[in-house]
Amino acid sequence: MYIVRTHPEATVPQEQDEFRKGLAFAARVGMELVVATMVGVFLGYLLDRYLGTRPWLMVVGLVIGAVAGFLNVYRFVQRMSQ
Amino acid sequence: MSEDQAWPVRARGHRRTLVYFSRTGPSILNNKEVVENPLHHFELHPIINLSLFGLDISINQAVIMMWVVCALVFLFFFLAARGRQLVPTKLQSVAEMAIEFLRKLVLDNMGEEGLIFFPFIATLFFFILFSNLLGLIPGAYTVTSQIMVTGLFALIVYLISLGVGFIFHGLKFLSILTPPGTPWWLIPLMIPIEIVSQLARPVTLAVRLFANMTAGHTILNVLFGLMLAGGVLIGWLPFGFTVPIYILEVFVAFIQAYIFTVLATVYIGDAIKLH
Repeated sequence: MYIVRTHPEATVPQEQDEFRKGLAFAARVGMELVVATMVGVFLGYLLDRYLGTRPWLMVVGLVIGAVAGFLNVYRFVQRMSQ
Repeated sequence: MSEDQAWPVRARGHRRTLVYFSRTGPSILNNKEVVENPLHHFELHPIINLSLFGLDISINQAVIMMWVVCALVFLFFFLAARGRQLVPTKLQSVAEMAIEFLRKLVLDNMGEEGLIFFPFIATLFFFILFSNLLGLIPGAYTVTSQIMVTGLFALIVYLISLGVGFIFHGLKFLSILTPPGTPWWLIPLMIPIEIVSQLARPVTLAVRLFANMTAGHTILNVLFGLMLAGGVLIGWLPFGFTVPIYILEVFVAFIQAYIFTVLATVYIGDAIKLH
């Protein structure tokens, strides 16, 4: 029911495909780094409020978030270069 | 009126800002125009007040725009699919190209099993694309400039990816928290890192679309505000800038709809394939 028919000749040209991938890459990387760091800090802050260990878990969260952001970007680049 | 006397205007006129160039700018701008706050048009005002069990479900501009978007998407595909000729009409071939492009995207990122989600992905793409584009019409409201809307889309996509992962793989799906090839002594470090990188996914998805739409509209608003403030002699300069920015915004509307859809397919596809 949900299968859509395809024309064999209706494919996207290769260069256009590369261009779109490049744009998607550019729009993604920066956001990925910043948001992962922010999420890490926010989780650390919440845990600090529950456990009363201000400010240590927030610092740990900052480091973990930054690492997670780099990891996401690293994986994304690996996937792109395949 | 001296410069110090100009400031009470701000206190009197609610949500109004002074454009104020007299110290540094050319003297032609000394007439102290008052323009709207560039963020003013993102505010929602209830048109019909409704409430359900204490919940505020008032009809505001965003709700009306969403209806318009839904109606237009429906109309577009209704008109495109009405003839269903072998040699397609213009509208039909545009719709076919878009659908085939999305189908290829789903197949590339999710595989054959992912075709169950094709209707969802296509709906997401066309809703976001149409609301981005309709928001560029002067006077219309951009639905995707509300983080509540984009956040809900991102949350639905993320919850679907979690649900699909647990349905397809059971508790083995939890192995996304330890990427393959992790040495055992790194596991206590990797689990919090992976949790954060997983939680960052819906947030990036929501914030990227919301921030791009809000930023573009704010730039256009500031430029038009400067045009009004600049007057005849200098106002053409910001007005000239609005044209390339507007073209860029049309481009951004397409690109952001595309990126949101690609990431939705990638996230759900990751849960289907599991490494």
